[in-house]
Amino acid sequence: MSGAKILIVDDELIVRESLGGWLERDGHTVDKAASGEEALEKCEKNRYDILLLDIKMEGMSGLEVLKRVRENDPDVSVVMITAYGSIPSAIEAMKSGAYEYLLKPFDPDELMVLIEKIGKHQAERRETQFLREQYKERTRFENMIGQSRALQGVFDLIESVAPTDSTVLIKGETGTGKGLAARAIHTKSRRSQGPFVVVNCGAFPEHLLESELFGYQKGAFTDAKITKKGRLELAHGGTLFLDEVGEISTRMQIDLLRVLEDHIFYRVGGTQPIEADFRVIAATNKDLEKTIKQGTFREDLYYRLNVISFTMPPLREHKEDIPPLAEYFLHRFAQETNKLVDQISREALDEMMLYDWPGNVRELGNAVERAVVVGKDRRILPQDLPIFRPEYVSSPPGRTLREVEIAHLESVLNETQWNVSKSAEILGIDRSTLYDKIKRYDLRKPG
Amino acid sequence: MSSKEHTLVISPIGDLDAGGELLEHLGKELGKLFGYRTDIRPLIEEKDLWLDPVRKQYHSTPILETLAVISPPEAVKVLAITKVDLFIPILTHVYGEAQLGGKACILSTYRFNEEPSLAGRTEAFYCRLLKEAVHELGHTFNLRHCADSACAMHYCRSVKEVDRKSNQFCRYCTVLLSDEMKRLAKGK
Repeated sequence: MSGAKILIVDDELIVRESLGGWLERDGHTVDKAASGEEALEKCEKNRYDILLLDIKMEGMSGLEVLKRVRENDPDVSVVMITAYGSIPSAIEAMKSGAYEYLLKPFDPDELMVLIEKIGKHQAERRETQFLREQYKERTRFENMIGQSRALQGVFDLIESVAPTDSTVLIKGETGTGKGLAARAIHTKSRRSQGPFVVVNCGAFPEHLLESELFGYQKGAFTDAKITKKGRLELAHGGTLFLDEVGEISTRMQIDLLRVLEDHIFYRVGGTQPIEADFRVIAATNKDLEKTIKQGTFREDLYYRLNVISFTMPPLREHKEDIPPLAEYFLHRFAQETNKLVDQISREALDEMMLYDWPGNVRELGNAVERAVVVGKDRRILPQDLPIFRPEYVSSPPGRTLREVEIAHLESVLNETQWNVSKSAEILGIDRSTLYDKIKRYDLRKPG
Repeated sequence: MSSKEHTLVISPIGDLDAGGELLEHLGKELGKLFGYRTDIRPLIEEKDLWLDPVRKQYHSTPILETLAVISPPEAVKVLAITKVDLFIPILTHVYGEAQLGGKACILSTYRFNEEPSLAGRTEAFYCRLLKEAVHELGHTFNLRHCADSACAMHYCRSVKEVDRKSNQFCRYCTVLLSDEMKRLAKGK
């Protein structure tokens, strides 16, 4: 190992000087400390590859220095220098993490071989760290996290699909990360410098979606005081992400189909044709083939959207991703809320692994966020997780699933004073899905 | 620095197995290699001052310090050669020691006769002496150990390795040596 940074810690000047000179001649950068206290000070300010540390010193012992140094810098290799009489201390030092010990006086070749061995060991360790980082990179794909075979398959597909300009249909249950996948495709495509425009098709009533998509001309309707560009126009040069495309009305489906065919459209109330260049990515949690059979979704639009398609797997099918996902959410929310929570207890993780997460990754994220906020400990405990609240997991016997769902929806809506966005977040579903359920079950705000 | 100062002093300490003729040869070769005039001049007569009676070895560091102090003004570097075994306190032995970028260095021939035995092979002994003299002097010109196993600055763990390396500097060490010599000539 040539060019290592070595700190010699010995209270004898002659040892420091002679060993220092010898190591310098060997091409190493040498620093010297006459006491344990001075060594700790130097270790705080500098980074060393190797510490040659005398066990027996006036003041702070070498063993104490070893423990303190290893706490702060686990990467430094510490070689204890010991006299024949203090071999037991040297063995104790080895147990405390010293790399090796040398018996004074030692053969220069022995020291040379040891330094080379340390260099090799450190290089291997750095390589392992590098590979681990690479693995982490692979675990994190854009903003998506997952090391399971299921998600790795999705990442590979995104990589191959992104450079093409084809329309992509992403299927999957709510909360599985369809939006993140769409963004990843955009980021990895040649349109990445262009805009990524999201249209949540389920969030707008028909007439609003029309003006949202196509824009409107000043005076087109009573409130149209100015001309406004629609999202299709805004997506020029980039990607248009049609989320919840299965929610679009049949009339709008015709308009959309026309736009997808030639990328030419008119603003509401406008007479000038507008041409925009965008790639379309659509997502749905609905079984579109079923809706085609039911006559609520146009077959021709389906085929126009379904050029390339893939399904985001539900979290219950790739539970091995729960630990890295939970850890990611933990750090993110701990940082956002400025709370000192940095661990998930084994028990809490076990419970997470047992749960089926119907709201998928979004529900997991919400659960961790809540645990970070309500938790009193530095670690997330099972009782901090909403999925383990007794009222959440148990329901009185004899009730139908519909009754249980209604009761739960009402309880969450009341808890949030009927804040739909917040309730949807807690429930781990989209706002539009919640609206749909409120409408379907005819839920009403009390009072 | 006047030309009078440009002398490389070779200073034998005590008796050497190498005869005067060998030292003459050595001086000539070193003079050619470093480009200085060489002078063979014993500077230390009483080496036992640095004998450690327990280890029965000589502590090289104070010998170097003394040499640096008593070296004649014209000496650009002083190379001491001895047949006794040298040590520094933390190590069992050293083959030689040098003041890195300093004035003095010392070389011991004590372990030159380790395997393979020289058994009167003066030429082989001389080759080892020359290579290690170049090596220690190299340190005084601020050169460090070199990874090139053929370079004179390569650190050898055995005399076998000494036999394998050359008495010349590698291209890299040659450049560094030339830089250091220029620096010395400018008196920096």
